[in-house]
Amino acid sequence: MSDILEEIRTAYAGVGIVLDQPAAYGTYYRLLCGGCGRMVGNVGDRLLPGMAAELVERQRDLYADGIMGCPCGHQKAVATR
Amino acid sequence: MNERDMDVIDDAEARGRTDVWPFWRRAYAAGDPLPAITCATSRPTYRFDEGDALPAEYRELLTKMLRHEGERAGNKSFLGFMGTCLDLAEALYPTREARLVKAEYLAEELKHAIMFHRLAVGLDRDFALRDVPYAHYTFHLPRESWADDAFFHFLVDLNGAFHARDWRESSYVPLAKMSATVERDELGHSEMGYHFLREICAEARGRRLCQRLLEKWYPAALDMFGRSDSKNAPVFIRWGLKSVDNAEIRRLYQGYVDAKLAALGLEPPPATKNRRFL
Repeated sequence: MSDILEEIRTAYAGVGIVLDQPAAYGTYYRLLCGGCGRMVGNVGDRLLPGMAAELVERQRDLYADGIMGCPCGHQKAVATR
Repeated sequence: MNERDMDVIDDAEARGRTDVWPFWRRAYAAGDPLPAITCATSRPTYRFDEGDALPAEYRELLTKMLRHEGERAGNKSFLGFMGTCLDLAEALYPTREARLVKAEYLAEELKHAIMFHRLAVGLDRDFALRDVPYAHYTFHLPRESWADDAFFHFLVDLNGAFHARDWRESSYVPLAKMSATVERDELGHSEMGYHFLREICAEARGRRLCQRLLEKWYPAALDMFGRSDSKNAPVFIRWGLKSVDNAEIRRLYQGYVDAKLAALGLEPPPATKNRRFL
């Protein structure tokens, strides 16, 4: 796995989101809820170094407030721990 | 494509019309929605058509431009990206109408893929099937909400509309010929994103989300035009493949975007905040 993908995986793990297998020719990946497995978005593998962690951290309060994340509430629970 | 083929496509598009789709209809009915992009540099007048012998540098720049454009039927990375749009539409759609609108959007992008395929074949048969993954980070940003997806369309498809507007004066005749259709459609895709943003911003919670997501999408959108000191830009302009440099087209784009954001009650972030390519 590339360094960028590992960065993405680690960043999203911190808010209860799982990086799935490649969805399209190895370039784009689905983001799945770590609680119920529902698809919550997608991401590509050409983010710049450090970008994934920065983006996820910047919206942590939006997960905590339930404005972003799965309707099941898993990200809200993880982000407020 | 011959005229009969185009009639069939026109008919298919006409049957897809609804009160809102295509979004370009309303935008152009109110006048030309885009600013003029005018070359202020004195330069030779070149005109090259399909089949003409192209100077090596010209061919290289044109191919580079088309690689970046990406919407080609033979580019599997483009088709993969379209697949991610379908995934999002299925997973996050707010209403059945919104989901249908996204399906119309995909159909129109696939029409562009055929148009650019023909252009690629006319330029270089080997290029037609070349896979070119999107290199710019903007195409890889996470989309985790309908608002993310709306910003992607409002800002990134608008980038395509501005470039297509610039191609009206392109020295490569096949590109100039298709520029008006591509510009119109891409502007419509941007208006589709804006339509969704307007719906989301109608509630305070949605407006808060959009204001925060702007911190991700606004700098990325401005970065898409490339560095202001690009050494390639003057060469593109000299050959008639572009009219203005990166800084100028970005300035025009930013003016358009800022006015639209203000109408939604959103405040654009400072233009240099979180930027990667100044």
